[in-house]
Amino acid sequence: MSENQNQTPVVRCRDVSRTYQKDSIPVHALRSVDLDVHAGEFVSLAGPSGSGKSTLLNIIGGLDEFDGGSVQVDGVELGGLSPTALSALRLEKIGFVFQAYNLLPVLTAQENVEFILQLQGVDKQQRRERAAQALDNLGLGELGERRPGELSGGQQQRVAIARAIVTQPVLLVADEPTANLDSATTEELLVLMSRLNAEQGMTIVTATHDPMVMSHAGRQVHLLDGRIDRDG
Amino acid sequence: MPLKLILQLSVRNLFRYPRRNGLLLLAIAFALAGATLTNAMMRGWQYDMLDRAVENLVGHVKVQASEYRDDPNMQHSFTLPKNYQPEISGVAVAGWALRIKVPAVVLSERQSRGVQLVGIDPDREGISFFADLSISGENLSGVEDGRIVLGQELARQLQTSVGRKVVVLTQGADGKNRERGFRIAGLFDSGAESLEKAFAFTGLAAAQNYLGDPQQLGDQKLVTEISVLLADESQRQEAVDSLGSAFPDKLVADWRTLQPQAAEMFAMADVAIYIIFVLMMGGLAFGLVNTLIAAVMERVRELGMLRAIGMPRRVVLVQVVVESMLIMTAGIVLGLAAGVLLVWALADGIDLSAFAEGIDAFGMSTLLIPVLSTNDLVMFSGLSLLLGFVASVFPALRAVRITPLMAMNR
Repeated sequence: MSENQNQTPVVRCRDVSRTYQKDSIPVHALRSVDLDVHAGEFVSLAGPSGSGKSTLLNIIGGLDEFDGGSVQVDGVELGGLSPTALSALRLEKIGFVFQAYNLLPVLTAQENVEFILQLQGVDKQQRRERAAQALDNLGLGELGERRPGELSGGQQQRVAIARAIVTQPVLLVADEPTANLDSATTEELLVLMSRLNAEQGMTIVTATHDPMVMSHAGRQVHLLDGRIDRDG
Repeated sequence: MPLKLILQLSVRNLFRYPRRNGLLLLAIAFALAGATLTNAMMRGWQYDMLDRAVENLVGHVKVQASEYRDDPNMQHSFTLPKNYQPEISGVAVAGWALRIKVPAVVLSERQSRGVQLVGIDPDREGISFFADLSISGENLSGVEDGRIVLGQELARQLQTSVGRKVVVLTQGADGKNRERGFRIAGLFDSGAESLEKAFAFTGLAAAQNYLGDPQQLGDQKLVTEISVLLADESQRQEAVDSLGSAFPDKLVADWRTLQPQAAEMFAMADVAIYIIFVLMMGGLAFGLVNTLIAAVMERVRELGMLRAIGMPRRVVLVQVVVESMLIMTAGIVLGLAAGVLLVWALADGIDLSAFAEGIDAFGMSTLLIPVLSTNDLVMFSGLSLLLGFVASVFPALRAVRITPLMAMNR
């Protein structure tokens, strides 16, 4: 057992289930899932459509509710948290990377990264420095003044990663981060995420269909019919 | 609450849909400009009505014998010291006049008519419509002038003219009938037949000698009223109080009491201004709500992402409200500026002489001069902002209900 695995896991799921209604028919998206993600791990949640990987990722990210069991992020139990408390938890502890980048089109790259620090109440000078540093680390130092519409898909996704990590979250949640990218850009992005994981110890959980993403992840968790089918 | 961030985002979002927001801005500005112009015309009509009521020998404040209002005749006159002039502490007086005003019958060789015979000091009548009259023939030369000035319409009805004589029949201060011949000095044209039929003017001292007993009066002045015009109409109550102390046994009343019909019309105009504004802006509010909802629904994904990364719901709510308030503020500035320009362009007045007869019945001049009121502009701005706020609440609540999952599922 590694040193990390002796510590409290960043994500701890116990007996998590999620059922939702689709056309009045109950759909069991997750059935009694147990999962621990330790600090510094790069975990990919894989599986066919409807396997529950996105549902599990959303629950871990505090974006979706669960019906039964327990989910803890950085020691905080998510069950029963109010929407406001969940918002605060996401802001302080979790970084998000979405499939569609979801940058604010009216802000420049630098402002998009600064934006989340503004929500956290970080002062202007520190905001500027940290955002510029994050963009620089991701090779976007020269593009800070460009708006998303003036950037390529890969560049936009890198800005989204910069926005996600600039707050130094305990967990980076990435939902199909390469779905809209070509293979070269995908490879570039995955190298970047692996570097973040390796050099900065960033804990990453991603849901993906993409074998390239799975190959970069240190741990693959395969879901099928709402259950963990394989882990490792 | 990161207000600076909200403001920054809101301003940029406004420029994100330039055509739609531009049209909305124009609609707001157009409504505000229209409301400002309509308001200025209503105020113009209102103040014209006030001026006409006040200048119609009323003044802002008047002192009369207590019984005079119910029974206006010389028995209800009163005396004043020779050098009397009203003293009203703390109130600026624009002018004042002493008058004798009694009902009388004017007879020519052919006709007779009932009028108000008014004894005046022509030099003091700058406070009434008398100063603006166009007179054919001669005006009264002073208080001692014993001739008479009639209205053109009255002269037409009496079938008389300048230089001829009419007989005036009325009651003196002693209660006995008086009858005297007056030579017609001039005929006045007021532009309103009602005034030309109502009044006949002569010198104040001449009227005193005709209606009073000169030997009894001695150095005193005999009058039926003291009329005071204030520099600021809103100080009328202070003036009433001050004159009331000086004349405790007299009736001291402001123009609203003396001309209740005009006062009611004045108050009605105030209400009409609010109603017109609310109707104009109320219609606009629906457009604003619609546009804001469209803006919110187009940004479901973006708003969901903002919620996902931890933007609190109250910040989302405030952002939509601020966007609405910003566009409303820009519309207010543009609309008021356009409205003020329109009023400025019409500052010389709108000629309504084509409708002269109907307008006279309303107690209005044929030249309608729009009047801008700073208070109204402030009120319009305030109410518009309130409207912008109310209109934004529903779209903002819809924005708040957007969850990250809803956004991702789109």
